[in-house]
Amino acid sequence: MVRFLRHYGTLMGMAAIIVVFWVLLPDTFMTARNWLNITQQVSMLTVVAVAMTVVMVVGDFDLSVGSMASLAGIVAAVLFTLGFSVPAALAVALGVGLVGGLVNGVLVSVIGILPFVATLATLTMYSGAAFILSGGKTIFGRDIPQAFGDFAKSGLPLGSLGDKPFVLPWLTVLALALTAVIFVVLELSTYGRRLYAIGGNAEAARLAGVRVTFLRLTAYGFTGVGAAVAGLMYAARVASANPTQGEGLMLNAIAAVFLGMTLTRHGQPRVLASVLGVLVLGIMDNGLTQLQVDSYVREVLVGLIILLAVSISALGRKAIGRR
Amino acid sequence: MSYRPLIGNPMPQLALHGVVKTYGQTRALDGAALELRGGEIHALMGENGAGKSTLIRILAGLEVPDAGQITMNGAPVALPSPAAAEGLGLRFLHQELQIVSALSVAENMHLTHPYPSSGFGLVRWGALRASAKAALERLGITHIDPRATMGDLGPGDQMLARIAATLVDTKGPRPWAYVLDEPTAALTGAEAERLFAALLTLRAAGHAILYVSHRMDEVLRLSDRVTVLRDGRHVSTMGRDQVSREQIIQDMTGRDFATLYPPASAPTETAPLLQVRSLQSGILRDIAFTVNAGEVLGLAGLSGSGRNHLLRALMGAVPRQGQVLIKGAQLGHGPAAAWAVGLAYVPRERRAEGLMLLQPLADTVALPHMPALSTAGFVRRAWIAHLVARLVQTVRLKAQSQAQVAAELSGGNQQKVLFARALAGPPVVLLLDEPTRGVDVGAKFDIYATIRGLTAQGVGLVIVSSDLPELIGLCDRIGILHSGRLTQIVPAAGLTEGALLALCYEKEVA
Repeated sequence: MVRFLRHYGTLMGMAAIIVVFWVLLPDTFMTARNWLNITQQVSMLTVVAVAMTVVMVVGDFDLSVGSMASLAGIVAAVLFTLGFSVPAALAVALGVGLVGGLVNGVLVSVIGILPFVATLATLTMYSGAAFILSGGKTIFGRDIPQAFGDFAKSGLPLGSLGDKPFVLPWLTVLALALTAVIFVVLELSTYGRRLYAIGGNAEAARLAGVRVTFLRLTAYGFTGVGAAVAGLMYAARVASANPTQGEGLMLNAIAAVFLGMTLTRHGQPRVLASVLGVLVLGIMDNGLTQLQVDSYVREVLVGLIILLAVSISALGRKAIGRR
Repeated sequence: MSYRPLIGNPMPQLALHGVVKTYGQTRALDGAALELRGGEIHALMGENGAGKSTLIRILAGLEVPDAGQITMNGAPVALPSPAAAEGLGLRFLHQELQIVSALSVAENMHLTHPYPSSGFGLVRWGALRASAKAALERLGITHIDPRATMGDLGPGDQMLARIAATLVDTKGPRPWAYVLDEPTAALTGAEAERLFAALLTLRAAGHAILYVSHRMDEVLRLSDRVTVLRDGRHVSTMGRDQVSREQIIQDMTGRDFATLYPPASAPTETAPLLQVRSLQSGILRDIAFTVNAGEVLGLAGLSGSGRNHLLRALMGAVPRQGQVLIKGAQLGHGPAAAWAVGLAYVPRERRAEGLMLLQPLADTVALPHMPALSTAGFVRRAWIAHLVARLVQTVRLKAQSQAQVAAELSGGNQQKVLFARALAGPPVVLLLDEPTRGVDVGAKFDIYATIRGLTAQGVGLVIVSSDLPELIGLCDRIGILHSGRLTQIVPAAGLTEGALLALCYEKEVA
């Protein structure tokens, strides 16, 4: 029973949540439009969560993703105001993400600071940098190129649905594409298998010829770039950039990976499981918003769901360990 | 408060007779006996696996014997729990001391006693320090400051502080017997001398000391009596006047082991596969040897002689200087370079250094061979499945599937996973560190058969083992290590266990 709950508890919980919302919101929840909406709402979180999966595979985590997302959005917006073209500004913002991520990697892997401490420090640094660059203000209006904002409002036309065109939002497409990339990296490449080996037993991996220090460093490059991409997606969606708009991404991303870990057999972080974790959080958010549940109550409920899933998983592991 | 010696009371005496303890199919103890008397240092000796640890665990109340009598001053007693052992006045000092590095010596010494405190529960620091100082002085120790931070002390002083901690409480039941398991393993010569002085002080005060050590000269110098165990049985107990190095070695060894080991096949070729010249690393100095195709070189030595470190240095797991040649080509640094040229390794601690416990066993096997099992950075799953299927047969690994995780396997099968990994290369030279440690007898024979199969194919092997019969049975030549130096290499043929053990101890005599 405990084992069953441990393996399928999160999936059953997800199904239960969907059924409850379906019943309570018969007209609006189980519609193609709403599901498209959910995929768009969670697209940024998906990108950060799958990137976070890479560092969590190694056994680390990155707290700085939220402020990196804010910083990347601000960098792009500031470059827009200086007259840079859209591709140039985006390239620089992504470069900032890569460098910021690798800085975390050097601190953790080369210098040997605990991930919690190192990325907590860079969290405040990146956040401070975003405030300095923006002067603490939101950058919006004519400074943001039309094409940048339009990207988030349009999508990939996929025929029609009834009398309305069926369009897959570009943000969703981007999240799917990046998920596919990370999936290939973690599940199919030798690089990914070595990261799993490090997470499984770093000393054994080192003795087996894995360059632990270097690979652990590079894993942070993924979270840095992933956070920057998410920050740019967010900025495009609201056609503005603000030094606090990445807030909340970090906790939700880590929560999503943890929820995903409850789905895998030996509690390992896996990309597709993390995406399911993101969906649980996204569906909860969407349904409770439609039910007009107070946002503070919503936060309490989301926290409870995470604790419930992780507790069942931990208890299940104990029960198996006793055998 | 002065320290009352125990002398004057009738000498306490604890005796164990006919102790039997079975784990699964293994009989760890089969008629072991031991007698501790106040005012006496008693050495317990035996090879690895002779049952010393099990006997100590029984004394400590961590294991309950299947049969046998335990008596205290002639009256039967039971040791069902660690608390019972403590109640009988027994104290245990392990190699890994239980200390809190960040606290002071005085606080560490009071961890199991109430701190002296004022009425409001506030610690009276002066009284705490005075109590610690008095306890240290009872051991004749004045050089340790009770205010010092425990973590700043050397391992010898930490051990002295731990012994002194048992003398803090002057009111409760008095400890009368101390069990020290390899206490000098991590100590310098000067630290060991201080420990010996403290032990002699304890003995003079009427305490009993059970001293477990591989270091023959310490045993001969300190002990009033020596008990030798072999294969879980009591072999002999000798008084100070009867005991000799030769007698102890003879009692520790001397069993028929020739039939356990498959015969060696004649080496097919004699090209040098591994050449080591003037290698330095850690305590290792000027190491030089050669391993030819189809040859097995054993490395023997006491713990701390550097035998495990030598294998780690060859693998590049620790920095090294000097020349290491594989098939005549200089070996690069780091484990990746070693695996790439066919130097394979089965580490000593399979859980800590070898296995990814919660990952599919096929992943662990494939890990060092990723470059050969991938194209353009992508893993070729089918190749891995094919390779692992073949290796599982070769090493006779019993697993449900290639996806089974190592944590679900027995110790012997976990070891076979690491053998499969080492064979996957295929290897040119294979380094084995305690290859049969903690595996059952059946798995042991499978591992021996695997080793013989490798030598027949012309693989060169280097084996470190503290199981001397195993070394003699498997190896062509055996190198003897003494504190970081390879003093000699002897042919294994015709070598007896006693002779090999004597070689390991030889340097100490001089």
